[in-house]
Amino acid sequence: MKAELVNPFLGATSSVFQTMLGCELSRGEPSLKQSHSPEYEVSGLIGLTGKCQGMVVVSLGRDTAIKVAETMLGEAPPELNRDVIDAVGEVTNMIAGAAKAQLAQYQLSVGLPSVICGKNHSIGFPSNSTPISLPFESSIGPVCVEVGITEVDPAAV
Amino acid sequence: MSKKVLVVDDSGTMRKIVIRALNASGFADTVEAADGAEALSVFQGSEIGLVLTDWNMPNKSGLDLTRDIRALGSKVPIFMITTEAEKGRVVEAIQAGITDYLTKPFTQEALQAKLEKYTQA
Repeated sequence: MKAELVNPFLGATSSVFQTMLGCELSRGEPSLKQSHSPEYEVSGLIGLTGKCQGMVVVSLGRDTAIKVAETMLGEAPPELNRDVIDAVGEVTNMIAGAAKAQLAQYQLSVGLPSVICGKNHSIGFPSNSTPISLPFESSIGPVCVEVGITEVDPAAV
Repeated sequence: MSKKVLVVDDSGTMRKIVIRALNASGFADTVEAADGAEALSVFQGSEIGLVLTDWNMPNKSGLDLTRDIRALGSKVPIFMITTEAEKGRVVEAIQAGITDYLTKPFTQEALQAKLEKYTQA
């Protein structure tokens, strides 16, 4: 996957966490994603289509997801409930949207976000993409953004 | 004008954030909708003085909501809050009839600064 397709997600993730959550992220070392299991228990998913297509996953631990919702809502959810799922979905949407704005040449459209919760769940990226895992550390816990997008062959359209 | 504000977003979290900013800016009377279709119904049944809407939503987008409200002949201020930040998309929204635009992510202060324009209206 081209670096120019991945780099916008680094900046977008930092920007969303800083602006919406007042939370500074420190970047870890990106790596190719070898397994179908996200790093953590809560996954925000969103699809991208256009001259590139694929999927972005925002992976958070249960406690981190609850803290994200607490910060956005101004009150602490008692558990991993609909409010937490909604907040994670919106963070995923904002990360994808902010990255998309830096990839204007690919004329991307972003789908509506979905959220999956549960230990050891699997996510299947499009078969022609090898996702890249972008790990971050923060004061509310670790976050991992997995980006699996590829350029569409114009001849195939 | 009526100060009742219609807040439209499929995310309940975003609606809460926007309503918090509205309350802090002196707009106490708010009504919510989770998509453009529900919003149009609310709009037609109430006296709304300001609309704050997301763009990408199920059933009816914020863009189509804007077009529908303008087709009714309303000049109500419509404020788009969205992740759609590309120049072409902003132009599309302006052509549809929006009044103002704020891209996500945004700070509470940025949203309140935008809202201050409408507190005197």
